[in-house]
Amino acid sequence: MISLPLNYNQPQIMHIDLNSCFAIIEQQANPLIRGKPVGVAAYDTHTGMILAASYEAKRQGVKIMSVREARLLCPDIVIMMPDPAKYRDAHRRFREVLLNYTNEVTPKSIDEFVIDFQGSRAVQAGRSLVDVGYEIKEKIKESLGEYVTVNIGIAPNRFLAKVAAGLHKPDGLDVISGENLLNTLKGIELVDLPGINVRYEARLNVAGIYTPMQFLAAKAEYLQKQVFRSRVGVDWYLRLRGWEVDDVLWGRKNFGQQYALGDKTTDEQKLSKLLMKLCEKTGRRLRQAGYSATGVHLWLAFANREYWHRGKDTKSEMYATQDIYLQAQKLLNQVHIPAKVTNMGVSVYNLHPCDPEQLELFAGTRLAKKSLAQAADAVNDKYGEFTVVPALMANMDNLVLDRIAFGSVKD
Amino acid sequence: MREKINEEVSVVMYYSARKRRAVPHIINWQNKDYIVGKIGYRHTIRRGETLHHIFELVDKDESLWFRLSLDTSNLHWKLELVSDGEPQ
Repeated sequence: MISLPLNYNQPQIMHIDLNSCFAIIEQQANPLIRGKPVGVAAYDTHTGMILAASYEAKRQGVKIMSVREARLLCPDIVIMMPDPAKYRDAHRRFREVLLNYTNEVTPKSIDEFVIDFQGSRAVQAGRSLVDVGYEIKEKIKESLGEYVTVNIGIAPNRFLAKVAAGLHKPDGLDVISGENLLNTLKGIELVDLPGINVRYEARLNVAGIYTPMQFLAAKAEYLQKQVFRSRVGVDWYLRLRGWEVDDVLWGRKNFGQQYALGDKTTDEQKLSKLLMKLCEKTGRRLRQAGYSATGVHLWLAFANREYWHRGKDTKSEMYATQDIYLQAQKLLNQVHIPAKVTNMGVSVYNLHPCDPEQLELFAGTRLAKKSLAQAADAVNDKYGEFTVVPALMANMDNLVLDRIAFGSVKD
Repeated sequence: MREKINEEVSVVMYYSARKRRAVPHIINWQNKDYIVGKIGYRHTIRRGETLHHIFELVDKDESLWFRLSLDTSNLHWKLELVSDGEPQ
């Protein structure tokens, strides 16, 4: 079984994340709400969920919760709806700043990046990465605005760099190396480690591990066979010692769209219309990325807190919105609706890149549908989303709003 | 309190060749002139094929925040949102 010392190599991985991303960008855009508790929520109604809270709001206990709960904790909180286009612009500017240093810049989500400085110009020139980090903070202020701050962590691997970035929020810059690793781990708790939530913490507790130091001291074999009962245990053994196990880029596996219903309903006709709109948004993204799919998944959440989901593999490839809708509607027909639907989501999986089309003698209507989808997309590109829509979506206005995912920046 | 306005407004814009920056300078809304103070954020969005420049800024007295949109297809300005920075 593997046994390795701590990694004493020079720390060359930098983790950078934007503090309270959506909230701080709103505070940058509107100087009148700086220094005030701000919550960016999916909806500004009582039941809307807070997606991001400013540091002022976090200090008063606001986290992911409903607007009603946030207002109870913090009556003077300024609630606003998200502005995805602005956050994407901020992400792009953030990335451009980092690309001035090296091409080895990996976005981990809308508000965090990992930079691998190994072999970079800065390292070759003998520059200290701490100096580079402070310079990046300044450049980000120049590019995004003076109110925007970032946390920076520097370490020998991605995991410890992320730990370092979380040590002194907001606006921190910390280095974890082989020399100070033990002292750093002494000062934090298990749930401060990225990837260790309360469930994982409970699992570690059952195995007699209560602190990061005890986690570090555990042997690889013990972690693999007794604690995690899989290869994951060895990954944790290496990760904690500063060896890299997380430099894997996962390709896209699905495209999906979900919606929290403002007007909760059991009306099947309304749900069908909503389903069509979700399929249209999913289909647009699928086609823009140049894929077709042979699997569709539908999920629903209900007001009585029940949840239903089902997936279906399809024989034929889905490309046009109608293809996706047809299969998703078949799934929707199978649902027994026990209470008002609060959330609905559709995704397509088993993705296949769309190769240059080989015309088939008996392709029938399939190619016509594909051409129709492409023509409708071209009109929507030119005149704006939902200019041309399937008849079922008529009179739906802007029911499904543009949303941005924290964890997804792939398209 | 943030309010949707969506009204066309008159705007005086200023371009500095030295800073290579074009910014709104005066906004006339409901017969009142607002001198532009700090620009909080500027970005562009596409609505269909049309590029819009979005300016989020406050007036010089820092009493109101404005979200302005410049439609590059006809160079018309629209005041989209106004806020006093207070909770609803």
